[in-house]
Amino acid sequence: MSTSPPITESLPPSALFAEARRDSTPLLICLPTVTADELQSLRDHILTALPGQPLFLAIPGAAASPDTGDGITLLDYAAPHNRTGWALTAADYLAAAQLAAEYDAPATLLLGAEAASISPSALQQLADAVLNQKADLALPRYDTGPHDALVSSALLYPLTNALFGAPTHLPLPLDAAFSLRMANRLATVARKPTTATPTEPLLWPVAEATIASFTVREVPAGPRTLPHPAETDLNTLLAEVVGSLFTDIEAKATFWQRARATLPPKPSQRPDPTTAEPEDITEMAETFRNAYTNLQEIWALVLPPQSLLGLKKVARAPAADFAIPADLWARTVYDFLLAYHLRTINRGHLLGAFTPLYLAWVASHLRRSEGDATLAAFHAEETAAAFVAEKPYIVSRWRWPDRFNP
Amino acid sequence: MGQQIESALRQSMHRVVVVLVSFLPGVLVFLVAVVVLTALGFLFAAIARRILVALRFDERLASNETTGAPSSLSDWSPSHSPTLFITRAVLWICVLAGIAIGISAVDASYSANSQLEQFLLPYLTHVLGAILLLFFGNLLARFLARSILIGAVNAQLQYARFLSLGVKWLVLVLAAAMALDHLQIGGVIIELAFGIMFGGIVLTLSLAIGLGSRDLVSRSIEKTIDKPTPKPEPTLFPDATEAPRPKLRHF
Repeated sequence: MSTSPPITESLPPSALFAEARRDSTPLLICLPTVTADELQSLRDHILTALPGQPLFLAIPGAAASPDTGDGITLLDYAAPHNRTGWALTAADYLAAAQLAAEYDAPATLLLGAEAASISPSALQQLADAVLNQKADLALPRYDTGPHDALVSSALLYPLTNALFGAPTHLPLPLDAAFSLRMANRLATVARKPTTATPTEPLLWPVAEATIASFTVREVPAGPRTLPHPAETDLNTLLAEVVGSLFTDIEAKATFWQRARATLPPKPSQRPDPTTAEPEDITEMAETFRNAYTNLQEIWALVLPPQSLLGLKKVARAPAADFAIPADLWARTVYDFLLAYHLRTINRGHLLGAFTPLYLAWVASHLRRSEGDATLAAFHAEETAAAFVAEKPYIVSRWRWPDRFNP
Repeated sequence: MGQQIESALRQSMHRVVVVLVSFLPGVLVFLVAVVVLTALGFLFAAIARRILVALRFDERLASNETTGAPSSLSDWSPSHSPTLFITRAVLWICVLAGIAIGISAVDASYSANSQLEQFLLPYLTHVLGAILLLFFGNLLARFLARSILIGAVNAQLQYARFLSLGVKWLVLVLAAAMALDHLQIGGVIIELAFGIMFGGIVLTLSLAIGLGSRDLVSRSIEKTIDKPTPKPEPTLFPDATEAPRPKLRHF
């Protein structure tokens, strides 16, 4: 006598999902970049983090398999290959959002490259933020050292915080959790035509959530292996990321000119300096001097005389005193943002001319952080606060770009 | 004698008056043609502008542009507006067409054996071509100079400005030589001078870069030669050896 398979095995995944929804809130977890080696370890982490939770793991090309008793159901979904190698792209969000809409999933967890290194507590907090705390978008804040996530500390976090009032430290996330309505919004944004872009377009979920008045939450997520971008040339990568962010800010100008920014929590006083030797930034300072000598005429098209004077002082300072003041950095970034908007010079040239300034900020950051993560975090917060303080400057210049600006 | 002089003067005056009488209607037609075509140019430009604004041409072009694109229409446009660029192009095409028609009309008012049109029109076309060559040569020179300057600075080359200037002048010299050749001025002298100048600039750049990168090249050659690794000298303070510098993670 042959035994008939359990009913659940014969049901399609959507029916399984709907069934799980009747009893509790299932969680859809999309893994667009997971490898076979990583899967087992990630599965263990997920099970540790979310015991008893009905889980649906969507993996591109996976053979759909029903719950084998551990609460995990495997799904196949059409996610394009992520060629960036690190950040989640618009295509990743679109594929996950479409799947979430198909299953009517109330919460989706989208995990990026090298997701196996995410701690179970981080997974649990991300899921909890959307499932129980009713956040529309939850982003992890991973522990970073003084040499990590420098673009985020210098630009992405300060700009997102100042213009959109969302103090998320990694606005271009490696992983994210979002609600169904956020998924729908992300799908709409990701569908916008960007066919002319040579590489994969990026998407800025924090800005999208903020302008839709959705709740954004940042959760402490401990350590994580930060994946290496496939593109190794800093100039190209920086131009792509900063160009994408500037384009997004330009498109949302009507919102951020009205929005009120929140000041990030700033440590009351500077942490005690460490006994460690300050980093040697002589070479970086020398590189900036070379850039200052050669790129002055291009910077002069973008920056007002006051900023140029500030940069001149920085260039003349010895390596031991090399520092870009936070307010000067904020104004410089805002001026480049405005020049990007006004197309003062070719955008490729503009972003190319920005790279040495960013590297000067990095040198300044390294000198000030003295190899200590707390000092680095303090400096990042100080930078973010300067962006908030200087926000009237960009609003004014955006509205009246031809007004005299000394 | 006096009568002969008087007769000669009268005849020459008569010839001049005849020429003026036959020439003036041509000038008038020239002016009318230029004015009418310019007016038409303004009209067409206004229509083109209306259509492009209605189609939101600038916004569409901007949304389709890539960040890393080497150059775009808007970068070369006045006030960085492609619509303005196109409308001005329409206007100037009409003005030039008016001038061409006017010259043709002037020539028509001359006698059949006049060589004015045969000489003037092709030469005007050459002048226009030379102006365009200089214009685009200048644009290309500036664009390349800026690209090379930024690229060289980001590659941490000390001689970035020199390299950029060298390329800029190479392109400018090339454009100027092409323009003069197009105008058929100078002949072999231009070719010779261009060859000497172009070769001179390339040689100067090669020498400068070669001498400037001497250390770089020697270091790179040294790397490729298999050398026996020298034994580290014993130090009194083994812990004082330099620790590897932590790698920067920008993203």
